[in-house]
Amino acid sequence: MTTLRANLNIVRGRISPPLIALLLAILLFLAGGLINPDFLNVVQALNIVRLAAFLGIIAAGQTLVIISGKEGIDLSVGSIVTLGAILVFRITNGADALVPLGLIVALLVGAGIGLVNGLGITLIGIPPLVMTLGMTGVVEGLILIVTRGKLEGNTPPIMRTLISSPLVGEISGVVFIWIVFGVALWLLLERTTFGKQLFAVGVNRTTARLSGVRVQRVVVTTYVLSGMLAAFGGFMLLGFSQTVFLNLGAPYLFPSIAAVVVGGTVLAGGKGSYWGTMSGALVLTLIDSLLRALQLQEAYKLIVLGIILLSLISIYGRQRNLRQ
Amino acid sequence: MRSLQVRRFFARNTYLFALLLLGIVLAINTALQQNPFELRVLNGNLRVFFPLMVLVGGQAIVVIGGGIDLSVGAMVSLCNVITVTWITPESQPNDIALAILLICCVGLAAGFVNGLAVAYLRLQPIVTTYATSFAFAGLALLILPRPGGELPRDMTRFYRSTPGNIPVTLLFAGLIVIVWLILRSTRYGQYLFATGSKADSAYATGLPVNLIRLSTYVLSGLFAALAGISIAMNTGSGSPRIGDAMTLDSIVAVVLGGTRLSGGRGGILGAMIGVIILGSIRNLISLADVPTWSQTLVNALIIIAALAGPGLLRLVRRRSA
Amino acid sequence: MAISLSAEHIVKRYGGVVALSDANLNVQAGEVVALLGANGSGKSTLSKIISGVVAPNAGQLLIDGHSAQFAHPQAAKKIGIATVFQELSLIPDLTIAENIWLTHEPMRFNLSVMHRELRTRTRALLDLFAGTFGSAPDPEALITDLTPDARQIVEILKAISREPRLIILDEATASLDSQQVNRLFDLVRDWKKRGIGIVFVSHRMDEIFRIADRATVLRNGITVGDNPINAVTEHDLVQQMIEGASAQTESRRGVSQAAGVRLQVDQLRAGIVNDVSLTLHDGELLGLSGLQGQGQTELLLAIFGAMPFTGRITLSGQDVHFKHPAQAMEHEVAFVPGDRASEGLLLIRSILENFHLPSWGKYGFPLKMTPARQDATQTAADLNLVMAGLDAPVSSLSGGNAQKVVIGKWLLRKPKLLLLNDPTKGIDVGAKAEFYALLNSLREAGTAILFYSSDDEELLGLCDRVIVLHDGTLRAELAADSLTRQNLVAASMGTT
Repeated sequence: MTTLRANLNIVRGRISPPLIALLLAILLFLAGGLINPDFLNVVQALNIVRLAAFLGIIAAGQTLVIISGKEGIDLSVGSIVTLGAILVFRITNGADALVPLGLIVALLVGAGIGLVNGLGITLIGIPPLVMTLGMTGVVEGLILIVTRGKLEGNTPPIMRTLISSPLVGEISGVVFIWIVFGVALWLLLERTTFGKQLFAVGVNRTTARLSGVRVQRVVVTTYVLSGMLAAFGGFMLLGFSQTVFLNLGAPYLFPSIAAVVVGGTVLAGGKGSYWGTMSGALVLTLIDSLLRALQLQEAYKLIVLGIILLSLISIYGRQRNLRQ
Repeated sequence: MRSLQVRRFFARNTYLFALLLLGIVLAINTALQQNPFELRVLNGNLRVFFPLMVLVGGQAIVVIGGGIDLSVGAMVSLCNVITVTWITPESQPNDIALAILLICCVGLAAGFVNGLAVAYLRLQPIVTTYATSFAFAGLALLILPRPGGELPRDMTRFYRSTPGNIPVTLLFAGLIVIVWLILRSTRYGQYLFATGSKADSAYATGLPVNLIRLSTYVLSGLFAALAGISIAMNTGSGSPRIGDAMTLDSIVAVVLGGTRLSGGRGGILGAMIGVIILGSIRNLISLADVPTWSQTLVNALIIIAALAGPGLLRLVRRRSA
Repeated sequence: MAISLSAEHIVKRYGGVVALSDANLNVQAGEVVALLGANGSGKSTLSKIISGVVAPNAGQLLIDGHSAQFAHPQAAKKIGIATVFQELSLIPDLTIAENIWLTHEPMRFNLSVMHRELRTRTRALLDLFAGTFGSAPDPEALITDLTPDARQIVEILKAISREPRLIILDEATASLDSQQVNRLFDLVRDWKKRGIGIVFVSHRMDEIFRIADRATVLRNGITVGDNPINAVTEHDLVQQMIEGASAQTESRRGVSQAAGVRLQVDQLRAGIVNDVSLTLHDGELLGLSGLQGQGQTELLLAIFGAMPFTGRITLSGQDVHFKHPAQAMEHEVAFVPGDRASEGLLLIRSILENFHLPSWGKYGFPLKMTPARQDATQTAADLNLVMAGLDAPVSSLSGGNAQKVVIGKWLLRKPKLLLLNDPTKGIDVGAKAEFYALLNSLREAGTAILFYSSDDEELLGLCDRVIVLHDGTLRAELAADSLTRQNLVAASMGTT
């Protein structure tokens, strides 16, 4: 037991969480091969990366919000994903030429919702958890009013081509977009003043303020970005599902948080990376695919998923001990 | 000195703003419809609100202790389906009592798993209880794959009864509040608030911080079990997904009731008032003839306005000062 | 009743860092032992081990000659060891009374807490410090509403309330003013008479010589000296602490009359600050003095734009009214806050990021990391910063080195006006000397410095002029011949 703990400590200390998650993903993939040899091939691997890309893109904003600290979390991403998809679906109505317009409107609406979240949290002081949860209700209400239950529209064919169909060889466009996302978020977090200030705000807001950081502005910007990125996630998801439904985004909400945590970003804020979230999205998608491959009954699937998640968190999601 | 006492009073009685909101909501309710305190209406509403009123008791304790429990809904489902599985229309009173006791133990055990993971394995509460919620939901689905089951008539009748013209649910809610007030005045109460307010200091002072954290989740499990049983008594049947929507509602109600989400401040009375506010808003919307498609939005906007209330008041006061 | 305690050959490692390698400490009943050492020498770790908050890796604790092991803080308490912590152990959302009696509340039927009794007993304890507060705190006041000195006193009372047999005072005087320190020392003398042993951890030499019977010196986690206090001099102790480094260098120098006015404050009101006016020239070191919490912090915060105020502030002849520190920074103003950990540093982030937090803007997009690292390396070298590397987290640094990071991040911006809020609090002698030298060189370079310190010696040694605040108002301005210890103390007490 002690040697196990010591080994775990070494793992925790030496290897960065994103790397652990990545190794874990590879291990899970190989484990999938043991269960079902058909699982272990390039097409399957690419398919999993493709599926993970959607979760990864949706979790991008969540990563930023969680880094911003002070219980920062965005529970409205699920509903914004749905709204974004619906907007593009309706505005384009299947016309390729209208895709840019649809995307811009979706992004602006997403940013607007994020702005309200950010202002409610910073200016009025509503805890992020309940503020964004309340906004989920508002967004769902907006969807109902706009659509009146009738989801009319169409998906432009170009979105399928660029997003979910194989683009280069067997690799879908979404994978490339995801890689671009990865680079862009790394740049944002590590190579811009905003990124550095975001980490500072996540660690200690008093220090940040006394060092000239406009804390409220940084926090609001973060929620705006989160709303925009979620709307973009909705756009991507539409390219994959080709249709919209009221529950399109909701299933991605908690996985987006789990992906961030599994990727080693600390829920308390001030520490983390988008690479980690990307690895986390891969791990979660793999687990999901594995459970599907096992063809378990829904009930058992849930139980196994719960246990796996719990063990994942316990590898490196641990908090500081009170006694040193 | 005067202002100090006022400050302390508000810091301790965190439910005052919720009480004000409740007054407004009930007044509008009265204006629109009939007297919400009329026994038939009151009993009808409380029957629906009661399970969540019980559930928020546990959530409030967890939040005061500095944590959060996202598995309460799944625990409610689990205990709900166990209730209708273990208790059938043929069950004798003794068997029913034993079954209820055992179901409470299931809740305690589920809470114990959460508490162990958070307090002793030191896992982050949000993701931990989110993970265990899958396991609990899976178990519920395993026990009762489809909604169904039936409870003895006496149980459902008891749940609707109004001894001395007071709904029995109100009596039980009152009982829970009284137990809470007693608990708050005990050493455990002091420790609970201290742990939630600043765990490091509490530990250095010699408080059994981990044990207290564990206890909050265990209590939350117990409250979830009672809520699960209550739902079964209200509907007379069980459903494996019945608790799903209650998790997030419980958090909103706790915050509406004045409990600070970061711990160390709040109480069960406020949380229960929060539940009644949430329920009454929904009633209001259906009474006020809000168009069907707008109901969700109006409901959400009112809730946000209610959540923003204390913060807005502070903002206004600061501006005018 | 009385106990003696000795810690023998204590070893404590945090990860790979050795905090203590051979720490020894011995306290007899009725004895005051001062525990000294530079920052990072392990004083706090040793006091935490004695009070059961931290577990040692090796070595043993002896209580009355018997080996003892503390599994948790409560075990130490049971034996009668009470600790007044440097990082306070108070619960912000509980009242003074609740905090003092937490874990040993008077109970009714062993069930509910007796609040009336709690209040009465708390009043009795607060009376021990009666007359040293601005206004006497109510037992029912929440800790979060108290000033730092009141919190420190509550912390002390909390320790006393257990009627301990051994008291550890870990930097307990750091945020107390001289009157409060005097009262504390009266209490300490009383405890001595009753056979209570006291471990006194402090950076203030004069206090050690006033109260201690013996002085135990730690250096790099090893006990290097154990001296009867009347057999050593201040110089001896400093030598033991810092191994060959020289004691503080001080200099005082008048400003040349030609220097321009950098800062002019007229009738400033902010928080408790009431109608304060002052003038500060380029190359001048203006001291700010007075008892704790007389408005010094508020004055500095207001000038830095971190607190709303009314009144007029002029920088180099230009009227300014900053609403955010960022605006003050554009006008080359810098502020070193009083509490390193909670106001000055991002503990879990790297030294590099801490240095550049106010200055990332000048490295463009994407941030040019090579010049950023060069600048940080240069500043670290200038400040003599002892570190594992720029990417190490600030939390790995000792107190003095961490403070250098707080100052370094402003030096990187080459400020024209530097505001200092008690920057040497809790810093060892060696680091202080370096800091004084730094202040002198900044002054020579023409930087205007407004320097609040709770240490009178410092102000007397360094400053050209000193202004004294009392109850938010300017009570005296001392310079040249009038700048004496007696005048300073008199003005702080509100007598002129």
